Amino acid sequence: MHSFLRFSFLLLGFFVAAISYAADAPPSDPSLLGVDGSAIDKAARARSDTGGSDFYTWWQKYFAESTTEVGPVVKQPIEFPHFRHAGDRDKGGMEINCMYCHTYARRSLVAGIPPVYKCIGCHQSIDEVRNKPRIKKLFEYWDAKKAIPWKKVNDIPDFVRFSHERHIQRFVFQLNRPVQQVCGYCHGDVKTLSVDRREHLLSMGFCVTCHEINHPVTAPGGTPIGNQDYWYSMRKPVEDSSGILKAQGPNDCSVCHK
Amino acid sequence: MSITTLFDNYSEFRHRHPDGDVPHNPYKWAMAIDLDACSGCNACSVACYAENNLPVVGKEKFAHGQVMHWMRIERYWDHDGSEFPERGARYLPMLCQQCEAAPCETVCPVGATNHTPDGLNSQIYNRCIGSRYCSSNCPYKVRYFNWYDYPTTDNVWPAEMNMQLNPDVTVRGKGVMEKCTFCIQRIRGAESDAKTQGRLVRDDGELQTACQQACPTSAISFGNLVDPESRVHKQWRAQQVDLDKHEQVKDQAEGGTDLRGYRIYEWLAPYPSIMYLERVRESEI
Amino acid sequence: MMNSEFDRRDFLKVLGWGGTAVALTGCGNGMVESGKETVVSYVEATDYMIPSVSVYFNSTCAQCDAGCSITGRIREGRVLKLEGNPKSAINRGKTCGLGQAGVQNHYNPDRIRAPLLRTGNTGEAITWEKAYALIDEKLKGVSGNQVAFLTGGMSGHTKVLLGNYMDSLGSKNHFVYEAIGPAVVRAANMKSYGVEMPRFNIDKARVVLSFGADFLGAWVSPVNFSQQYAQFRKGADGHQRGVLVQVESKMTITGANADRWLVVRPGTEGILALGIINVLNKLGVKVSGDIAAAVKAYDKDRVSKDTGVSAEQINKLATLLTERTPSLVLAGTAAEGYAHGSQNAAAINLLNHVLGNVGKTVEAAEVVPFPQMAPVTGNTVALQTLNDGLAAGKYKVLFSYGPNPVFTAPGAMKFKDNMAKADFKVVFAQYLDETALQADLVLPLDSPLEDWGTQVPEYMAGGAQINIQQPLMEKLHAETRGMGDILLTLIKQRRAAEYKPFDDYYGYLRAAVLQNKAALGGAHQPDNDIFWNETLSKGIIKFDGAKQASFSVNAGATGLNLPEPAEIDAQYPFHLIPHVNANLRDGRNTNQPWLQESPDPLTTIVWDSWIEIHPKKAAELGIQEGDIVEVTGKNGSLKVQAYLFPGIHPDAVSIPLGRGHDAMGRYAKGYGVNPFQILDVVYDKQTGELALHETRVKISKTGERVIVVKDEGPVGGNQEGQKIVPEMFTDKVNLSKEI
Repeated sequence: MHSFLRFSFLLLGFFVAAISYAADAPPSDPSLLGVDGSAIDKAARARSDTGGSDFYTWWQKYFAESTTEVGPVVKQPIEFPHFRHAGDRDKGGMEINCMYCHTYARRSLVAGIPPVYKCIGCHQSIDEVRNKPRIKKLFEYWDAKKAIPWKKVNDIPDFVRFSHERHIQRFVFQLNRPVQQVCGYCHGDVKTLSVDRREHLLSMGFCVTCHEINHPVTAPGGTPIGNQDYWYSMRKPVEDSSGILKAQGPNDCSVCHK
Repeated sequence: MSITTLFDNYSEFRHRHPDGDVPHNPYKWAMAIDLDACSGCNACSVACYAENNLPVVGKEKFAHGQVMHWMRIERYWDHDGSEFPERGARYLPMLCQQCEAAPCETVCPVGATNHTPDGLNSQIYNRCIGSRYCSSNCPYKVRYFNWYDYPTTDNVWPAEMNMQLNPDVTVRGKGVMEKCTFCIQRIRGAESDAKTQGRLVRDDGELQTACQQACPTSAISFGNLVDPESRVHKQWRAQQVDLDKHEQVKDQAEGGTDLRGYRIYEWLAPYPSIMYLERVRESEI
Repeated sequence: MMNSEFDRRDFLKVLGWGGTAVALTGCGNGMVESGKETVVSYVEATDYMIPSVSVYFNSTCAQCDAGCSITGRIREGRVLKLEGNPKSAINRGKTCGLGQAGVQNHYNPDRIRAPLLRTGNTGEAITWEKAYALIDEKLKGVSGNQVAFLTGGMSGHTKVLLGNYMDSLGSKNHFVYEAIGPAVVRAANMKSYGVEMPRFNIDKARVVLSFGADFLGAWVSPVNFSQQYAQFRKGADGHQRGVLVQVESKMTITGANADRWLVVRPGTEGILALGIINVLNKLGVKVSGDIAAAVKAYDKDRVSKDTGVSAEQINKLATLLTERTPSLVLAGTAAEGYAHGSQNAAAINLLNHVLGNVGKTVEAAEVVPFPQMAPVTGNTVALQTLNDGLAAGKYKVLFSYGPNPVFTAPGAMKFKDNMAKADFKVVFAQYLDETALQADLVLPLDSPLEDWGTQVPEYMAGGAQINIQQPLMEKLHAETRGMGDILLTLIKQRRAAEYKPFDDYYGYLRAAVLQNKAALGGAHQPDNDIFWNETLSKGIIKFDGAKQASFSVNAGATGLNLPEPAEIDAQYPFHLIPHVNANLRDGRNTNQPWLQESPDPLTTIVWDSWIEIHPKKAAELGIQEGDIVEVTGKNGSLKVQAYLFPGIHPDAVSIPLGRGHDAMGRYAKGYGVNPFQILDVVYDKQTGELALHETRVKISKTGERVIVVKDEGPVGGNQEGQKIVPEMFTDKVNLSKEI
């Protein structure tokens, strides 16, 4: 009986190690390589698609922390349609860049909600919708000079320091990823929503999954992978057990815990 | 978290400090406090209260030793038997020394206190379970425990005092240990601003700890010890104090040293990151 | 920094959810659920209002009268922290603990939020319209000399406006009162140097000899002096490290930093000064005939007997002063404390002349070229005159703005009773302090962090400057007003036409500044708005090449007539020294909890009062630490815990000022005792100023004992043989390689 238990634990241990190792190994599928040659988190890939039926996704869903937990529907003072503003043109949207409204994302800890005058800036001249109920409500706020009491949808605990600036600077300005992909990684496909709804449980595990990716800086044998300056702008690459230099994002506790 | 990552990085997690073979790069935060300039005015202590959301505990709790001043000014007398203290008093600003080999880090049962790559001793409030082993180990006794729920039950910040709270610093609840962090919120802020501009933090006053910024006699220098241009680096060099020695070469010399720099409890080998400059008194009077 | 077309004030109005309402987001204790907290939301935002990014505005600290410039850190429309403004020549980017606590004065929960009208023993909240109408009504039929206006030190435009208001009332009864101001020193400086407050160049001195001037603590401009002190210790121009010698009867924080602290019999500082001149003369320093004659009788043995300072020390000190020049000699409590304080100060100032310091470390300060804005300083003679007038029933209407005389006036003056004799008393205050509680009408003030103003400091550090005070955030409470706005409304009751163009004090200030644009540094800037915004942004208006104040050198010893040391009164054997410490001062900031919890630098005691007794004397009386003793003087008694303190003359005891409030909010009320109440009313013979150290008391044990709440712990400042705070002497240390 004991030896059976011991054996099954051992098997389980191997399983876990194998899975986690597999998650770290550089993918052979080129579609899973980032612009700079790094591995995009396969799980992240799976999440941004509509499911995925591979074993890894199943594992994530049932054993690892579920990070696909969608938040509650939050009622906002005005039911702002993201799909109208940011949505694809062929779906009736205007493809406005996220940062046109959430303009502080590149220079602040928070992305920010636009002040009322941002909305008015356009809507004062859009006569076709001027008398629609939501627009009328918007102008009520403007005329009364009252700020719209938007409710916070993506909230993190007070003891966490999350900087939008750092992430936008890296992924949008340094790595030139498309804005919607960068914002969408954490906030989901907001352009298909009306008001925002939390897409992922913004837990520590969710953040750490990215921050702990070990990007190989050199291939076995010493060939450099990707832009070396870029790697060295992260935490200084360290050699792993097999002698390969790997670079990691910030994962010191004090970077995020204030 | 993957086990592979753990194995790969174990050597880093448990790296022996001080780390001569893996030098701090690009930042190692350190301080130098000039005790001849320090007048004992307590401005630094009040500034720390303002910056770090420190609770005022009141007379009764103060009497129990439950005061929360991360930075305290200790006052010593000469105790040389004379009737009057004719050489004045000796003031010592005492705060977390951010030891490289911190006795508090090794004993936390949950790993709430760790050493950061930039040489600070970090305290993670939400991980702390309140064992208080760390403060028991601290030789300087600079760790302070939240014995009470100051924000809510004790209502230390009634409206509108709560509007003064610094949003960059967690307001600690009951059962959590806290201590000076070298104003890590300011450090992270300055690092982030510098990074956006593609550079490192400079030693030109853009990053100051609250105590350093307030000190009316400019007794406190704070900065990056590995930046050769920083004032702190130059001071440590001039005083011939090495971070990773527990006995300085200059102190071993015949007849002692004529330099003022020293560290407190250096012989216990916690390798503190604060160098003090000895108080001076005029010999001709 | 602000060049947008938004006028600063419009911006603040338009914030809507900005300012106070916005401020409350994120203050909850960690609500992480989606949809529970609100987001920072604005109607219109200028380009520098970025959530989570701090904005910095400059203003002027008003916690004491030094006039340090501050920079406030503002996030989401609320001020969080104050720092010093590096551009100010006064504080050079630094703040003291008192300055830091300015935010606690602003956010204090015990602030008065609406005008209060007395009905019996309570105050009924009324509107400002009603309050102003009431004042107007009460002033009808009252002649100018029946109106009295009590303030603290004032300067800038508020002072001008008050002057004009008093003018409109036909009243000359503006009383400027400071409980602990250096009034005797000012008068003595006037006689010795021709100016009330010269500039002291501590950083250029090689030796500073201070007779009780606590310049690192609470004397005149402590932040400026502390900065200078740091340079003084480093040695100016490559010289040696400066030497500080402090002469006083009770150790102050400056004394605690001295190279040599000389304890002196209370009141005999002037004798010591003359003794030093005597020795200097013998050492070859040339003095004029009349000075030589004046000091002839003060040889070092006689002086040593009188003061308690050894002849050897006097010799050493004199020798040091001849070897290291220039030096600087300062008079502090030696002047303010005694009935012969002016004489003491004259003798001490004479030392500066004899040592040749005048023109080197004692210089004329620059002045602001607007004499009407220059500060009026306060003294206790003003309080006495007001008190006498109130006692005689002379004043029908009394206004009070700033001081708290019911708390700080000696009990023997019976100020509270005399104040009641005025028919109508209006107090302008932020808190219901002791004086406000006696008022008929209390008008709530804006805190200095939400108000406009200009300030001209009394002590001008390097170059003349006018300090700007501007709000660091929107008003916290809707029904408080700035003093400037109140004065403007009051003066409009009498001179409506003249002041009609000004909607509010902001408008008045702006118009006044723009009117003098060229003289205020705006000659190059044709656009008024840009000039105004730039001025606000800088927070300081500096004047290059401002004319030096008239400075004359009076090096004579005429009129110098020091009395013999006082006899010890057998019935009241101790001198009571009421101590002014940096944080509490005269009690105006005691309701700021950071200051209550900030340990006293000498005793480390918090939240309570204490009496310092020398250990030898305490042993004689059988007093231990924590014994509650009764301190009895001719005018009352106090019960206070004893603390054995080596830094005090055995014939003196000391109780700190500032505590002992029985009003002023939850953080001040009920903590400690108020030594002001039991002071003997003794005046300096020359100036008529209240002599603060002339109170004689006796001490008796009550039999009760408490544990003293202090930071130092039972070890009491003992290093226990460890190398915690070692020291080095100058003959062994090498300071040359330091940075």
